[in-house]
Amino acid sequence: MDVSIFAEYGPRLLSGFGLTILCWLLGTVLGAALGLLIAVAQRYGGRSVRWVLQTYIEVIRGTPFLVQLFLLYYGGPMIGLRLDPLPAGLLGLTIYGSPYFAEIFRSAFRAVPLGLIEAGRAIGMPELAIVRRILLPVGLVSALPALVNFSIILTKETVILSIITVPELMYQTQYMATMTFTYLEGYLALALFFWGFVEVISRLGRRLERRITRHLIERS
Amino acid sequence: MVEASSVEIRKVNKYYGDFHALKDIDLSIPPGKVTCLIGPSGSGKSSLLRCINFLEEYDSGEVLIDGKLIGYETPGGRRMSRRKLRQMRSTIGMVFQQFNLWPHMTAQENVAEGLRRVRGLRKAEAMERAAQALDRVGLSDRMANHPARLSGGQQQRVAIARAVAMDPRLMLFDEPTSALDPELVGEVLNVMKALAAGGMTMVVVTHEMGFAAHVADQVAFLDAGELVGVDAPARILREPEDPRIQSFLRTYHERNVI
Ligand SMILES: Nc1ncnc2c1ncn2[C@@H]1O[C@H](COP(=O)(O)OP(=O)(O)O)[C@@H](O)[C@H]1O
Ligand SMILES: [Mg+2]
Repeated sequence: MDVSIFAEYGPRLLSGFGLTILCWLLGTVLGAALGLLIAVAQRYGGRSVRWVLQTYIEVIRGTPFLVQLFLLYYGGPMIGLRLDPLPAGLLGLTIYGSPYFAEIFRSAFRAVPLGLIEAGRAIGMPELAIVRRILLPVGLVSALPALVNFSIILTKETVILSIITVPELMYQTQYMATMTFTYLEGYLALALFFWGFVEVISRLGRRLERRITRHLIERS
Repeated sequence: MVEASSVEIRKVNKYYGDFHALKDIDLSIPPGKVTCLIGPSGSGKSSLLRCINFLEEYDSGEVLIDGKLIGYETPGGRRMSRRKLRQMRSTIGMVFQQFNLWPHMTAQENVAEGLRRVRGLRKAEAMERAAQALDRVGLSDRMANHPARLSGGQQQRVAIARAVAMDPRLMLFDEPTSALDPELVGEVLNVMKALAAGGMTMVVVTHEMGFAAHVADQVAFLDAGELVGVDAPARILREPEDPRIQSFLRTYHERNVI
C-alpha cells in the first residue's frame, strides 16, 4: 500500500483522533457524574424518586445507543431541541452510559460496610458529609475496576457518533478509505488504534487501582 | 472531670418485624458510672445499646439522655429533626465490636474527622486535637498509619480516641474486645478503665466478666429481650437469684475454666 496516503490524510486523522479521545473522555466523565448523581438519589430519595430513576435506567439500558442518538439528533429538532453533531453526540454518550455507571455506583455503595456509615452517624455527622467523606471514597475503591471496564466499552461506542457526522476517527478513516480505496489498511489501522487505546486505559486503570488500595493492604 | 450524662430507659419496646426484641425495658444509668450489659447472644444487648443513641429506633417507651427524649419529639410522637438528633448524638460516643474505622483515612484523620465535620474545627486544629486524643490512648507513634496497618487492639484504641475526642458525656461500647485476639484485650480494657476512672458515664455490652466484676458499678442482665435483673456486680455475678443468670454464668465459667 501507499504510505503517502496516510501522510496526505494525516491532519484529518489526527483531528479525528483528538476528537475520539475527547468524546471518550467527556462521555466517561459526564456519564459517570450523572450515574453517580442517580445512584446517590436512589439511595436517599423517596419511593417516587427511586421509581422514576429505575425506569430511566431500564429504558436507557433497554434501547440501542444508535436509536437513542437518532432520537436525540433527528427527533430532537421536532420538539425544538436543535443540537450540532458534536454536542448531540456527547449528550448521547452521557445519557447512554449513565445507567451503567449508576448501577456500578449503586452496588459499590451497597458493598460499603454499614458500620462505617453508622460510625459517622454515631458522632453526629451530617448525611451529606457521610456521603462525601465515607460512602464515596470507600465505594470508589471497590467500583474502580468496573468503572475502568465500562469506560473501555465506551471507547468503542464513540465510533457510533460518526453516523451523525461527528468527525471523529471513524468518520475520518471512512472518508479516507472511500476517497482512496484503502478499506483494508484504513480499517485495520483503526482497529489497531482502538486495541492500543484500550490497552493504555486498562494499564492506567490497574496502576490507579494499586495506588488507591495501597493503604488497604494489611501489614504482613 | 468530664461532665457526665445520665440515661433513663423507660418501658422501651423494640420489634424487628414481628420479632419482639426488647420487652418493656426499664433501666436507669446514673451519671459518671459504668453499667455493663450482659446476657446470652441474641438477648437484645446490642439493640438496647443502639436505642440509646437512636442508631436503632425503638417502637415505644422513652429513652432520656439527661432528661431529654432522644429520637422523638414527644413520647410516641413524631420523629425529632435530623439536626436535633445529630446534636444529641454528638455528645454520645460509640465504640463498635468491629472498630468501624474509616479505612481510607489515617488514625489521626479518623479522629479529626468528627471534629471537623461536626464541631466545625479547622483542619490544623482538628489534627492537633486528634494527636492529643491518640496520645492519651498510647498511640502517638501510630498516628500516620491507616487502620489496615494497625493491630486490632490499636484499631480499637483509635476508635475510642475518635469517640473521646468529641468530648462526649456518655460512651457506649458494644462488645469492644470480642473481635480481638486474647493478648490484645488488656490494652483496650485499660483504656476503658482510665475513662471510667475519669468519671465518664459508660454503658458496656461485654462478655468480659472480669471487667464487669471489677469496673462496673451496676450490671444488667438481659435474656430473650427481657431485663432479668440489675444489681451491683458483686451481687448479680456472685450470688444471682434468677435461674437464667445462674445458668448463664455457669456456662461462662465452664467455658473459661477449660
Ligand atoms: N436488623 C435486625 N433485623 C432483624 N432481627 C434482628 C436485627 N438485629 C437484631 N435482630 C435480632 O434481635 C435479637 C437481638 O439481637 P441483638 O440485640 O443483636 O442481641 P445481642 O447483642 O444480645 O446478641 C436477635 O434475635 C437478633 O437476631
Ligand atoms: Mg450484640
